[in-house]
Amino acid sequence: MNHWREHVSFWLQVFQEWVREPLFYVFLAVVALLLVTTCAHPRFLPFILKSLRRNVVRTVLTSMAIMFLVLVVTAIWTVLKFMNEITQEKARDLKVIVTERWQIPSQMPYTYYGDITRGPAKSVEDKDHMAWAFYGGTIDPDKRDWNSQLFFFSMQPNKFMTMMDGVDELTPTQREKLAEALKAMELDKRKCLIGAEKLKGLNKRVGERITVTSVNFREIDLEFEIAGELPAGRYGQSSVMNQQYLLDALEDYKKKKLKPHPMDTRNLNLVWLRVPDSQAFEEVTTAIETSSLFSSPAVKCERASSAIASFLDAYKDLLWGMRWLLAPAILVTLALVISNAISISVRERRTEMAVLKVLGFTPNMVLCMVLGEALLVGVLTGLVAEVVFYTAVQWYGGIPFQVAFFPKFRLPEDSLWWGPMLGGLTAFAGSIVPAWSARSVKVSEVFSKIA
Amino acid sequence: MSPILILAPLLVAVLLVLLPLLLGKVPVSYNVRNLRIRWQTTLLTVIAFVIVVGLLTVMLAFVNGMYRLTEGSAQPGNVVVLSMGATDEQFSNLGYADTGDIEQEKEVLLDAEGRHLISKEVFLVVVQPIPNAPKGGRQRRFIQLRGIEDPVVSGEVHGLELHEGGAWFGAAGSQENDKPKKANPEGAKDDAAALPVIQAVIGEGLARELGKDQNKPTLVVGDRFDLGDRDWVVTGVMKSAGTTYDSELWAKRGIVGPKFGKETFTTYVLRTADPAKAQALSDTLTNTYKKASVKAQPETEYFSKLNATNLQFLYAIGVVAVFMALGGVFGIMNTMFAAVSQRTKDIGVLRILGYARWQVLVSFFLEAMLIAIIGGVLGCALGFLANGLTATSIVSSGPGGGKSVVLKLVVDANILAVGMLFTLGMGAAGGLLPSLTAMRLRPLESLR
Repeated sequence: MNHWREHVSFWLQVFQEWVREPLFYVFLAVVALLLVTTCAHPRFLPFILKSLRRNVVRTVLTSMAIMFLVLVVTAIWTVLKFMNEITQEKARDLKVIVTERWQIPSQMPYTYYGDITRGPAKSVEDKDHMAWAFYGGTIDPDKRDWNSQLFFFSMQPNKFMTMMDGVDELTPTQREKLAEALKAMELDKRKCLIGAEKLKGLNKRVGERITVTSVNFREIDLEFEIAGELPAGRYGQSSVMNQQYLLDALEDYKKKKLKPHPMDTRNLNLVWLRVPDSQAFEEVTTAIETSSLFSSPAVKCERASSAIASFLDAYKDLLWGMRWLLAPAILVTLALVISNAISISVRERRTEMAVLKVLGFTPNMVLCMVLGEALLVGVLTGLVAEVVFYTAVQWYGGIPFQVAFFPKFRLPEDSLWWGPMLGGLTAFAGSIVPAWSARSVKVSEVFSKIA
Repeated sequence: MSPILILAPLLVAVLLVLLPLLLGKVPVSYNVRNLRIRWQTTLLTVIAFVIVVGLLTVMLAFVNGMYRLTEGSAQPGNVVVLSMGATDEQFSNLGYADTGDIEQEKEVLLDAEGRHLISKEVFLVVVQPIPNAPKGGRQRRFIQLRGIEDPVVSGEVHGLELHEGGAWFGAAGSQENDKPKKANPEGAKDDAAALPVIQAVIGEGLARELGKDQNKPTLVVGDRFDLGDRDWVVTGVMKSAGTTYDSELWAKRGIVGPKFGKETFTTYVLRTADPAKAQALSDTLTNTYKKASVKAQPETEYFSKLNATNLQFLYAIGVVAVFMALGGVFGIMNTMFAAVSQRTKDIGVLRILGYARWQVLVSFFLEAMLIAIIGGVLGCALGFLANGLTATSIVSSGPGGGKSVVLKLVVDANILAVGMLFTLGMGAAGGLLPSLTAMRLRPLESLR
């Protein structure tokens, strides 16, 4: 029962987001147009269905073309929507990233984290924060290939659920399992989480132990017990370890070698702060950037959206091409395929159109029927394509296409109406000319030819 | 890929299409006339082919450009040395004390002045605030900065020269700052104008990018810019087009290393006489060099490993192309099925006139192929317009790290051949089934 309630509340939330999307209204307009063209007259729908059944091969071929092309556009839009969202500046509930001012990758002393959260960021009313260090290594030092390598977010386990992006996209069961594993990590610093896809690559299972030979923290080789897996998708290739484990290991190194580890003052890569609004962001930024505590190395604060946009700069032309070249060209192709099919259909049925007119159908009714035929195929095929695609991608954990640090892209719920909208719109665009030609069929001309 | 691997199947495909024409009579003129008469359907199908093949050509040209870039960056006799386990220059650490004698290896060549041809480098990615960046957009860019010891030697090792009027930066790597100093009551410590100007040479692509900040098409010798709270001056622009160095800034390691927090080297690049010696030296250093654990590899191998991103793009393009092709195939099937159903009587007449079943099959198949070929040729021509366009991208050996690059799209004979093969494949897949249907029609039944 609870499960069912959660689903209902999830879809209600999704619907609330949909109504904020301008494109959703285009979808509604397409649906309205479909209803008008198929149901405005009681004879429309039977005629349309009969006509579609008459040439099943053509209907199926057109549907298949729509299906494949809609899938490509959906995949492209999924990537673009995700990129838009993460690089879009928010007005409220912002995340601030504090990093080293000049260098990538940022490397700061861990003491900065305490100084930031106890000092400048203390003034922020609604504060939540986390610190990241990147610990990379291999479980097979002799081989060191991609499958044997691991990349850990060294962080506080209790911050994962509140500060990491994408947690809200997980199912209730996934969240529950994750929370349990994170609790286990808090109790035992040697426990870690590894992404589902990474685990497969490593050929390891939950419960097994691994020894990681570090690449960036030389001589800090750590043993882990795999406490759980991060769900496939966004974090499918990542791993999470308890920050205290790394800090303790660096401390042990100092005690053993009687000198600090070379990374001792570079063991903090990022600090994340959650701030309520732009004003708080400005206040925190000014306080941190002007503080003498953070001068060597100097630090900078930026909104998460702006920081990610900088990382995506190398992909800007690729994303531009996907947005303005690939997707529109596929839509045009789709419209052409539909147009071709409907044109053929209209040409074959000119006599039928003339008979309909003789029987009292007005030119606009003929126009509606042809449009309705195209829209019905477009909308229904788009819907079927998206439901199948959505289910398949949910099962697979996302569309695999590595862009910067994003390995997979989860299909948004919006895609469920993208398909019918794309199918319907292209069907409308492709059928408007043939439908107009059907509308203009002259009864006398058609019958004189037959005679 | 070898051109022969692409051109051979194309030739075979064309021959397979032409062979039936040579073997016996096929009513080709009848097919051509039909295409003309049903020009609207033909045109719509051709346009769909043009778009699909045109897009495929552009996408492949992008990946081709990336491959050319990584290939063009490598010198066959060079050896790249990184610290063991480092997947990228950025993550490599070579302590000078441990590795300083690597240049003494006997395979390392000497230049005319008797210096070892070794480029000792620190590779850094530095953040630069974008001047006058629009609010809400990207505020910073990443600059790939290579700190080197001796720019003349490094230029020779990497096979790079400067454009006319430029000069490699001097031994000090900096020059007197002639900017007026700010009146700063707390002293001039933080005033960039009070510090010497850092001299740098710059890749052409980066010069164009930074030129935008100053409303210029490109930075030229003598131009200044800010980076890391310091003034920088361009002393030379590298002839770096077609290499990954096109997006790099080179300056004195002794200045930029400490300035940006990296005191060690990240990379050594050694010049040997030929690829065989480069391989031998790589093996020696990786397996027997004891002072530090290093990974040495011929530069050609190093850059070929950076093709992981290209491969990923290639797979993505493959998937998109197949899906688009399926759309196109169903489109042409529709056209051809309609052609068959409209011309049932014609088929009957052809059969009565003595045309065999296979000739009817070939006739309709050729019609589909003709549409595909016209669409394919026009699509390739459209795609060819992208040849030489520049685009930004990234090359890397896997997730994380990598180099941001400016590349030129390259449409070559291979790409055009792939485009034509693709179109022939689409035409064949879309035309075969309707042609078989036409072939199976019985003469008398079709005339009823």
